[in-house]
Amino acid sequence: MTNGKDPYVVLGVQRSATEEEVKAAYKELVKKYHPDQYENNPLKDVAAEKMSEVNQAYDEIINNIRNSEASSRYSASTHFDSQQIRYLIQSGNITQADNMLSAVDPTMRDAEWYFLKGSVCYKRGWFNEAYENFSRAASINPGNAEYTAALNQLNSQRTGSMAGDPMGGAYRNKNADAMNCCCDLICLDSCCECMGGDLIPCC
Amino acid sequence: MFGYIRGYKPYMRVYEFEIYRSIYCGICKDMHRRFGFFTRFTLSYDAAFLALMDLSVHGRKLIEKSERCIAHPWKKTMCAGCENDLSYASDISVLLTYHKLRDDFSDKGFGKKLLSALALPFFKKPYKKACAAHCEISKKIAQAMKLQNKIEKEKTAGIDAACEPTALMMQAVFEGIGRNSRERELLRRFGYCLGRYIYVTDALDDLKDDIQQDNYNPLRIYMQQRGIGLTDKGKVPGEVKQFCDWTVNMSLGVLAESYYALGLKRFRDILDNIIYLGLKNTYSLVKEEKFNKRNKPKKGKAVI
Repeated sequence: MTNGKDPYVVLGVQRSATEEEVKAAYKELVKKYHPDQYENNPLKDVAAEKMSEVNQAYDEIINNIRNSEASSRYSASTHFDSQQIRYLIQSGNITQADNMLSAVDPTMRDAEWYFLKGSVCYKRGWFNEAYENFSRAASINPGNAEYTAALNQLNSQRTGSMAGDPMGGAYRNKNADAMNCCCDLICLDSCCECMGGDLIPCC
Repeated sequence: MFGYIRGYKPYMRVYEFEIYRSIYCGICKDMHRRFGFFTRFTLSYDAAFLALMDLSVHGRKLIEKSERCIAHPWKKTMCAGCENDLSYASDISVLLTYHKLRDDFSDKGFGKKLLSALALPFFKKPYKKACAAHCEISKKIAQAMKLQNKIEKEKTAGIDAACEPTALMMQAVFEGIGRNSRERELLRRFGYCLGRYIYVTDALDDLKDDIQQDNYNPLRIYMQQRGIGLTDKGKVPGEVKQFCDWTVNMSLGVLAESYYALGLKRFRDILDNIIYLGLKNTYSLVKEEKFNKRNKPKKGKAVI
């Protein structure tokens, strides 16, 4: 262990940090303590010691994260065959997938179950129920990128976004047309010229 | 059909509107020619949208003629040619009307029963003709009508389940346009979402009447579940409107996805106008109680 030090304190991350956040924090510290920077420096030993501390803390946290992920995946698959249901949903066999999900005991329903149920509803076109299930899944397991992505997509549609909208909702916002764009550019050019620069050389 | 699918006129170019109207005109003429005088009164701009989608998916060209119209006999208007191109929309229009009348006749109030009993004989023959061409679709519409009755009798609470019959109906109707399995799949999704949109908009439109007349309406059940009533001024409360917003927006979001994936070229601008502006505009007119089903939206009331 890291000389009795808390690895989360060493890396300076929260206990709920994701793998990405841990990696980012680790990179920062490596930049700071890398031995190459202390070649002819009296602090060389201190830096080397710090570096090994950081390395150990990083390994420990990453292992923790991976273990907990694996165990949660394992626990999910003990109640029902998540992989098979996913396959059924993808191949369009919605009825069978729904039947399999309904067979799961209500007390054993976890985030994965709600996510799959949401996917089934989405495929059927039952968007309100899909939304409820996705948000339930995301609230039980907020760290899961898949659940969050599903929820976010439905959320943006819920607030009125439509794919491929040529107006981009612009008919409500009169500022976004070509003339205004030119006008803005000319203003910007004037401002630049005031400060001695030039944005559009020809005017 | 329903009358909720319309373009957003202020943002339509003049020639686009001409095409849109000439297609409406063409379907009317087509119905008259093939089904007789009475069926044409049931026509709405929904059918024009269906015809537009049909023409667009098949990449058909429009033949424009100048003809007199019975609604405006004193002037000649542009009218889309109907060399078999518009028959799909008119057939579907007849099918939907016939099934609606049958449904009204079997289990609605006395007034509707009488009306439908009077109208049904005029639709018997046209129905047979249209059914011969689109047997499968007719069956699916009949099934959806049955499901609708079941849902109304059981007073189903969920909005998703309540939307299902209309959605399935539209799904069958739009699926029929597709030429290959990919297009059919996308159009199925498109139709399903459009049906959801229509149903929720209609439910919101009828909400006040349904509360007064004690009819089934999933939004009414939604209000009962949450213990909210109409506001003091007798308006629909904001909470319900918000709920409808979400439902409609999600349906339109997914609808747009499949529409975009279809990658239609012909009449793209008109379709874009209807799908991205018209549908939302109609919905907000309904929400603000400015929408009038029978007539066109009141003048000067267009919501931007």
